[in-house]
Formats: sequence, C-alpha cells, structure tokens
Amino acid sequence: MTVSIKYDFHLKHSPERVWNALTQREAIARWLMPNDFEPRLGHKFTFRRPPIPKLNYDGITHCEVTELVPPKQLAYTFKGGNLDTLVSFRLEPEGTGTHLYFEHSGFNPDDPIQKFALDTMGGGWASLGDGLDKILSGS
Amino acid sequence: MTPDVYRAISDPTRRQILDLLATSERPVGELAAPFAMSQPAISQHLRVLREAGLVAERRVGRQRRYRLNPEPLKEVATWVAQYERFWRDRFTALERYLDEEEP
Repeated sequence: MTVSIKYDFHLKHSPERVWNALTQREAIARWLMPNDFEPRLGHKFTFRRPPIPKLNYDGITHCEVTELVPPKQLAYTFKGGNLDTLVSFRLEPEGTGTHLYFEHSGFNPDDPIQKFALDTMGGGWASLGDGLDKILSGS
Repeated sequence: MTPDVYRAISDPTRRQILDLLATSERPVGELAAPFAMSQPAISQHLRVLREAGLVAERRVGRQRRYRLNPEPLKEVATWVAQYERFWRDRFTALERYLDEEEP
C-alpha cells in the first residue's frame, strides 16, 4: 500500500499557458526547481534542491518522463533518497482558465524509520500539546 | 558531532529499546533481558539514544532508570509531510509565475 499527495485547483490561465509552465525548462526552474527537463517521452532528467540530511537525501531527484499529452497530461517518475514515487499533472479547461489536478503518489508508509517515528509519536500527539498539522508542517 | 535522531532510530535494536520504554520507565537490566545482548552492549545503545535526546535517565537508589522522551521524534519529518508543504509552496509560486507572465 502506498500514500499519495493530491491537490487540485483553478488557475485563470489557459491550459496552453499552464502546460508551458509545466514543460519548459526555464519556466519550471522559476516556480519549481532547477532542472534539465525536456518535453520528450522517456527523457531522463534531474531536479536539484537543498539536501535533507534527516531523510538521508542529497537533494537530487532523478526523473523520467512517463506521460506527455499536450496540453492535458504530464507524468514523471520522482526518485531520490529512499523515495521512489510518481508525479502527475492533469489539465482540464475550466471557463477561460484551467483546472489542474496534481498527484504525487507512491510514498511508502511502511518505511521502517518513518513508520516508527509516527507510531511512537502516535498517541502522544495530543499530550505533547501540539497539533499534528503544526508538527507535520515543520513549524 | 551533533546528536542525530535519524541515525539513532535507524538501528532496529534501538527502536525496540524505545518501544519498551514507551510503555514504562525501566532499569537497564530489564532492557537487556529481551535481547540476546550483554548489559554493556545495551548501555552503549542507551548512550546513543541519550545523546540524541530520545531517552532520559534518573537515579533511584543504586539503580539508573530510563524513560522515553518522544520530543525529538518530531524532527523526523516524513517524506509525505515534507512534500505536502513543498508542493503547496511551489504551486503558490506557479500561480505567481503565470500571473507575472500573463497578468
């Protein structure tokens, strides 16, 4: 069993504009991360972000384009540290804008270290006087 | 070297020790019993856990008793939590980028 992050929201910009922002290297770098993306099925690329030592992650994410249907559907694998996941975007016209459906799937909740941290904290969240949201948001 | 919570709990024996301490405070002898390990070996694990702030000890007579301090586990952010926050921030940036390109 795996866990996903899902977001969907409206953008007032056309699907073509949104598609460009998702698939042009310079645009991706502006809103997401430095990268060497190419809009080509099977293209392998990387994202770079600051390392997260606590998660044993050097900051490099290795990706491969697995779905590319302009201006509708984009997916790429997303692997780094002990993470082996998939990121996908689906664009639907909505009025003069776009409804963007995003999913980051394949998180393994059985990773022994994270499972341990969550289980052991488990019942303790409330007694520690902190909301789960606050803790998980890293504040 | 700074105490590293992640490293401390990456060891299965240390995770089991913390599991035992999660139910109650215990002396080192009681912690060694369930493992086929010498008391000094367990003490070594307890030292790592103490340095990471995961275990606290107190003296009761001649005995040292250990208990769990779960606070530092908060630092072990999960991938899901990391990325929930990450993508939320990035999508705010995406919208800003699009607005700047085509107000």
